[in-house]
Formats: sequence, C-alpha cells, structure tokens
Amino acid sequence: MLDSILLIILFSPFLGAVALMFVPNRQALRVRLTAAISAGVCCSASWIMFLAFDPAKSGYQFVQKFEWSKELGIAFYLGVDGIGAPLVLASGILLFAGIFISWHIKDRTKEFYIFLLILAAATIGVFMSLDLFFLYFFYEMSVIPMYLLLGVWGSHTKKYLEMTDPDGLKKRDSVAFLFNFASNSKEYAAMKLTLFLSAGAVLALMGILLIYKFSGLNTFDIVALKEQAHFGQPLTTIIWLLILYEIFPDATRELMPIAAILCIFSILYGGLVAFYARDTKYVIGYSSSSHMGYVFLGMAALDYISLTGAVMYMFAHAMATGMLFAMAGWVYDQTHSRDIPSLGGLVNRMPFVSGCFIIACMASIGMPGTVNFWAEVMILVGAWGRYPIQVLIAMVGIVLTMGYLFRMMRGLFYGPMEEQYSHARDAVSMVDRFPLLLMIACSVGFFLFPYYFYNVVRSGVDPLIARITQVVPLAAEGREASFVKREATSLTPSVSGNFTPVSRFTFHVSREKE
Amino acid sequence: MTFNLTLTGADLLLLLPESLLTFWLCVVLTVDFVWPRMPKEQLAYLSVGGLAAVLGTLIWFDQGGLSGTLFNNMFVLDRMALFFKIFIVLSTMLVILASMDYVHRFRFFQGEYYFLVLMSALGMMFMASANDLLSVFVTLEFSTFGFYVLVAYLREDMASNEAGLKFFILGVFAAGLLAYGISLVYGESGKLVFSDIASTPGSPGLAIGFLLIFAALGFKIGAVPFHSWIPDTYHGAPTPVTAFLSIAPKGAAFAILLRMFFVSLAAFKPAWVLLLVATSILSMTYGNIVAIAQKNIKRLLAYSGIAQIGNVLIGLAAGTKDGGNAILFYLLTYLFANLGAFAIVIAVGNSINSDEIEDYNGLNRRSPFLAFAMLVFLLSLAGVPPLAGFIGKLYIFVAAIKEELYTLIVVGLLNVVISMYYYLVVVKKMYINEPTDPTPLTISGPMKAVVYVGLAGTLVLGIYPKPFIEWVVAATLMFSNLAGTSAALPPTVLPFGG
Repeated sequence: MLDSILLIILFSPFLGAVALMFVPNRQALRVRLTAAISAGVCCSASWIMFLAFDPAKSGYQFVQKFEWSKELGIAFYLGVDGIGAPLVLASGILLFAGIFISWHIKDRTKEFYIFLLILAAATIGVFMSLDLFFLYFFYEMSVIPMYLLLGVWGSHTKKYLEMTDPDGLKKRDSVAFLFNFASNSKEYAAMKLTLFLSAGAVLALMGILLIYKFSGLNTFDIVALKEQAHFGQPLTTIIWLLILYEIFPDATRELMPIAAILCIFSILYGGLVAFYARDTKYVIGYSSSSHMGYVFLGMAALDYISLTGAVMYMFAHAMATGMLFAMAGWVYDQTHSRDIPSLGGLVNRMPFVSGCFIIACMASIGMPGTVNFWAEVMILVGAWGRYPIQVLIAMVGIVLTMGYLFRMMRGLFYGPMEEQYSHARDAVSMVDRFPLLLMIACSVGFFLFPYYFYNVVRSGVDPLIARITQVVPLAAEGREASFVKREATSLTPSVSGNFTPVSRFTFHVSREKE
Repeated sequence: MTFNLTLTGADLLLLLPESLLTFWLCVVLTVDFVWPRMPKEQLAYLSVGGLAAVLGTLIWFDQGGLSGTLFNNMFVLDRMALFFKIFIVLSTMLVILASMDYVHRFRFFQGEYYFLVLMSALGMMFMASANDLLSVFVTLEFSTFGFYVLVAYLREDMASNEAGLKFFILGVFAAGLLAYGISLVYGESGKLVFSDIASTPGSPGLAIGFLLIFAALGFKIGAVPFHSWIPDTYHGAPTPVTAFLSIAPKGAAFAILLRMFFVSLAAFKPAWVLLLVATSILSMTYGNIVAIAQKNIKRLLAYSGIAQIGNVLIGLAAGTKDGGNAILFYLLTYLFANLGAFAIVIAVGNSINSDEIEDYNGLNRRSPFLAFAMLVFLLSLAGVPPLAGFIGKLYIFVAAIKEELYTLIVVGLLNVVISMYYYLVVVKKMYINEPTDPTPLTISGPMKAVVYVGLAGTLVLGIYPKPFIEWVVAATLMFSNLAGTSAALPPTVLPFGG
C-alpha cells in the first residue's frame, strides 16, 4: 500500500477525470462530488506519503519503476526525495482546495472538473517523475488543460466583450492579434500562455534529446544519468541553459552567480509592478513573480540552509498565493470588479473572507505565524554568506511586498463602500470556507511544527548541495586537468560523449583550490 | 531475364490476402449488379467483412512469420510489407465505415463506390510488396487509377470535378516522371530489383533517375515541392475519399521509399540525406505556416498533412533502422489521429453541410462527444502527450538526434509550436466560441464506431506503445545492417535479418 502511494496520488485525479466522463452533465452535484472524492483521495494520499517519508534516508523513496519501452530506453519511473515530497503535497492540497473554490461554476461543470483534474495530475506527475521522458510528458500534458481552463472559464475584460460583433470576431481570430500584448481577453491570454509554455517545453525537449544523445546510455532515466554519465563542459553549459538540472553540478556552480543577479530583477520588477497595479489579480500575479525571485535567490546561493528555505518557500508560496487568488475570485464573483480603487469597505459585508485575506497577506509578506516566515528567513540567512548585496536588496523587496499587499487590503476591505456592492455576500457555507481554512491550517501548522518539514527537505537538499559544491580532480592530463564527478569514477571508458574540458573551467576550479 | 510463372501452392499462399481481396471485390460488384435494390449499407458491411477476413489473414501471416518472394523478386512478402498491408486494410475498413452516411449524397453509382475503394486498397497492397521498379510503376498506377474516379465522384459539384482534373493531370505527369526515372536507372544499371541495384556504382544518370522516381513518389505523399495538388484535391473530393487519400497512399508510398532509399541507395546515403533534409524542412515549414491562414477544415487538414509528411521525412533522412521504426510508428499514429479527425469532419459535414472552420463554433455545446474527440485527434496531430502523436514525434526526433541532424530537429521543434497554434484555433472555436445555431448534432452508429476506434488507437498508442514499438522494430529488421554515422552510439546488437 505504502509502496504504491505515489501511484495512488498520481492516478486518483486521472481516474476521477475518466469517471467524470460517464457522469451526466445535468447532475451537477454528482459531478462535483466525483471530482471532490478523487481529489480527496489524492490529497489524503499525499499527506500519508509526506508523513511516511523517512528523512533519515537519502535518495528517492516510494520508488516505482515499470519498463515502458526498452527500445527507446524509457521507464515509467516514479519517486520523491525531500524536494519532491513537499511539492507533491502542495499540489495535492491545492487540488483539493481548488475543487471547492470552483464549486459554484455553472457553465459546463463536468468539462471544467475533467480539465482541472488532468491539469493537477499532470503537475503532480512532473514532481515525481524520475525519467526525463515522463518529466516532459507530464509537463507538456499540463499545457492543454490550462489553455482550456483559462480560455473557456477565464474572466475577461470589457474590451473583449466589445469584440463580439462580427467585425470584432474576425479581429479576434487573426494571427496579428496574438502578438498584441495590450489585449487582455481570456482567449489571447490562454493562447499566449500555451504558445510560450510550448516554446519553453520544446527548448526543454531539445535539452533532453541532447542529454539522451551525449550520455550514450540510451536512457532517459535521471538517476542513471546522474550516476553514470559525464558530459563535456561546453555541451553541459548549453544544455543547462536549455534545461536546469542536477545532472550538471559543474555548470550549475558556474552559472549560479548570473541567476543571483537575475533574481534581483525578478524581485524588484515584480514588486514594483505589483505596487502600481490596480487589478487584484495583477497585484497577486506580480507578487508571485517577485516571490519566485526569492526562491531563485535561495537556489543560487548553493547553500544547505538557503536551498532548504527555497523549497519550503515554494510550499509556503503555494498556500499563500492559492488563498489570495481564491479570495480575489470570491470578491470578483460578488462584486464583478477587480479594480482596487473602486472597491472598498467590504469588511462589513464579508468578515470571514476579510479575515482570511489578512492572514493570507501576512503569510505572503512572511510574517511570523505562517511557514513563509521560516522559509524567508532561511533563504536570507543562507544566501547572506555568498550574496550579501542581493540579500540586502531582497530585504527592500520585503518592504515593497508589505506596501502593495497592505494597499490592496485597504483598498478592498476598508474605507467607504460603494452602494452597488452592498449585496455582496460572505463565504458562509462550509463548502466555501473549507478550502480557505485548509490552506490556513497548513500554513500555520507548519509554522508551529517546522522540524519535520525541515528534516524532510534537508534530506533531499544535502546530497544535492554536496554534489554541486564538491569538486574532485581525478587525473591531470598535461596542463588541463579533467574534473570528473566522484560518482563517475567507476565508469568504464566505453561510455562515449566524453569531451575534453575547456580551459575556462579549469581556471575556475584551480582558483578555488588556492 | 526469364520469367518463371509456375506457381506452387506455397507461392500462392503468399498471395492469399490479395487473392482474397480480388475475389471479394468481384463479389461486391456482382452483388451490387444482381440485387440493385439492396440497401447500400449492406454492401458497405459486406466490404468491411471481406476486409476483416483479409486483415485476419495478414495478422496470421505476421504472427506466423511467413515471408518469401514471387515472380523473380518482383513481389516480396516480408514483415514490413505485412505492416503496410495491415495499415492499408485497417484504414480502408475505417474509411468505408465512415463513408456510409456520405454515400447517400451520391446521385449515381453508390454501389460502385465501395468497389472502387476496395480496388484502390488492392493496388496499394501490391505497392507495399513491390520489390522492383517495374512493379512499383504498375502498382502505383493501379492504385491511383481508382482514386482518379473517386476524387471526382461528386459529378455535379464543380469543386469535385476540378479536384479530379487536377489530381489526374498531375498524377499522369508524375507517372511520366516515374517511367522516365525508371528507364534511366535501368539504362545505367541494367537491373530493376531494389537489392540488385545496390551494387551499382554511382553515376549522374543513376542520380537523375532516382531523383525523378523520388519526385513521383513525393507527389504521392504530397511533400513540398510536389504538393500543389493537395489542397484543391482534398478540398474538392468527397470527404471520405479525402480521408482515404490522406492516409493509405502515403503509407504505401513510404513502403516503396523505404525500400528504395534503405536498400538500393544505402551506399549513397551522404548524397541523399541532404535532399531529404531539404524536402522535410520545406514540407514542415510550408505546411504549417500556410495552414494558419486556412478557413476550411479540409484545407487545414490538407496543409497539416503536408507538414506531417515533413515530420515523417525526418525519419527517412535519418537513414537508419531507428529512422525506419520511427516512420512506421509515426504513420500508425497518423492513421488513427488523421482518420479520426476526418471522421469528425464527415460527421459534422453530414449534419450542417459545411466544412468551414467558422461553423465549428461552439461544437462543444452542440455535441460534447464530437468536440472532445476532435480535441483529442487534433492534439495528437500536434503531438501533445499522452496521445499517440507525441510518441511518434519523439521517436522521430530520437532517431534524428542519433544521426546528429540538428538543423532538422530545431526546425521540427519550432514547427511543433507553430502547428500548436492552428490546431488550437480550431479547439478555441469548438470550446470557447459560442455557437450561432445551438441545435444538437446527431451521429450515426458506424461513424461512432470509427470515432471510437480512432480514440482508442490514439490513446493506446500514446499510453501503452510498447507492443506497437516492438511490432515496428520487428517489421524493419531487414534494415538492421544500416550503420549510423555517429560513432558515439553503442553498436546496435540486433540479429542480422531480412
């Protein structure tokens, strides 16, 4: 049972989607219950997985491996380490909460839940795949449900509605419109998203194919690639740019300072745009890209503490931003407006939602009381040693976060209320309150009991950082030493694709030795 | 060269599927003449039954590992020929089931339609077995002959007539090129059988001859720059015929192309890789970019078909056994996805009498089943997991990267993104746009069966391709002596077969 827990987590949403196809569309309640049951199974199974995870062991746990195609060297290979486990858990929680948050969708309920479940399952699949082929498989699989969810059930602006006349329809179908970034109709948002994601996916596929070719192992298996293959420097750098992976510790070490500078742009750009945005979803969206900057900073520092913090931050961010979006959606459903300055005073109409919103904002800022606090502190403390300037700028970013989130809070819930919003309702029923309470409970719970979480993440982070930071020179050939990873020592020379390292890298390492 | 026409019983067994089909198409024609009042549906079921028997025989041969040659090597029955025959028979069965509703539209010759479809299928089955240049010519013309009539079957429709005429003129032109090419090759080498030509030293005459043969076959598969007939013919022809034309002849032509390039011309690989790379890049890019502007779903599928052929040509350009496997697998995925998509076009066309993409607006509200099936088929053509097309594309790319065809892969991957756009435009119309006329659509039983077969094939090939990959690997065993150019590869340990 416990061995196959990953299969249960992965396939319960899929089976739920398949089961939904046989439920008649008219019986909306049965559709919702079917979706909720399959998501509930997924969510509880991911909790069981997370709690049964053994932090004392390193490496992948709950491993499942089935041969899929020998000819192509593909195996259906699942497993989680300390980094994958919290992400799977976050996806499980968000899926379960998401089912209830979208409980009131009336248009084509069945299709909505089918696509939502497929999207969630594909995302979970990405986090637990140990085979590059399936990693790509699930990644690309999540793109189309996203397109349809956004395109069909997404919200649109007035500008979009103006385009429903025959002339406008023609305009909406033209290619040129795709590149019109000023339009924010749902279809174009969806199309842009899909094409960008596909383009990114295609880059990743290019990287995967290059790895496949130059490892010479005829396999997509990540574990095998990590242990046995070794790549020449220039190629590694190219592939690293195409797909970031722990298969390439050398390139990671070399390129991370660039990432550390980029993440500052992310933090400040996201924060500043969020500060000036009027639309609630824009504020939350840009705050999200600002927060991803912190995650990147934690990753770039290549430190045990900061990387653990980054992984915890991803979990914490998922909870906080999930709540914020859910409540922005609730406010939109009640008032049909996302314009912050025109809203206000809703605290009297919806005290429960306002309360949750404040907690979510606190979480997003990283106040003590939520798991975000630990994560943020760990990132900043861990990164201080290597990138003090970036950490100082990131701290400015926290002040910025506070600024725009308080502004949004005040704009939505306090101040005078306009007459037209007086009919707005609070989330009263348990169905509406449950997802918010669930996410708050997770966020606060892990603040109170962070040790287990920390140990789990740490068990995944330790071998990764050790692998990246440690360089063992194997043999010196002339003046150019060849640096091969420790794991590769047992490698037979028959494995091909071994290029001579370039001198640039040699220099870099020898300086480290001094 | 003397022909020995004394056939033993064992020899006749090799011809059993073809003999069976020949007999059966005579039966179909006779029944149509003798009982003219019989509902034509019965005739369709009769044809499908006969094809099922042929399919059974072929699968039996395939499992039994029967192989051999006939008529001084003109006709060969090996596992690759059997693969393509199963491919052709399967697509013919599905096309006949899908055309049952459509045939009612024909004012004349409803019964002969099935006869002509079966006859083309028979010609293509011989094509799959063609092992020398003369039988290539004869079988190619034999199969195209039925199509000339079928394309122009809507006698009172100008578009259909135009399509027929275009197809005929360009087809005859291609036949001329083929004959000229064959005569040049024969003049240079004095040989006709593919495996005999392999020992001929290279010469300009041989090169020109094979170039002309390639052009003729390129016409058949609709690769750029031999594609000019495709859009108009696909648009004008009756939709079931378009479906048939877009799948079965391409498969049969690839059987010949594989034998020609991988057997006769294996020694000249560096010379023809560039030709195939250029054709592939042109086909993919042209097909995908022009498809964006299409307003008619049949034309969209025509251009997407050109692009898909560009993808298949990547496998041919790889020039290895892996490339051959990938081609066979890709064609299999293409069969289910493309035929499924055309089945939806026929079903929608029967209900609303239109093939404009604009009329697919809100299909999801009018018929959730049709919209979902179309979504699956289009996404499979676009190469989205977990559908068959994705595995096909990946297999092709893996074969190409082993041969270091980086340009092709980069162009191919870019084209995946481009193609995503126009497939998604159709998806958008079906799911996001609101219907102008919200009446629900109905769908007949046989059509439903075709759509279900298409869905099943698309999903099974995508999720559990293992047995099919093993099948195509076994089907191309005769190419296992083809060496890759890349030294980085571990040597393939496969038994020398064929």
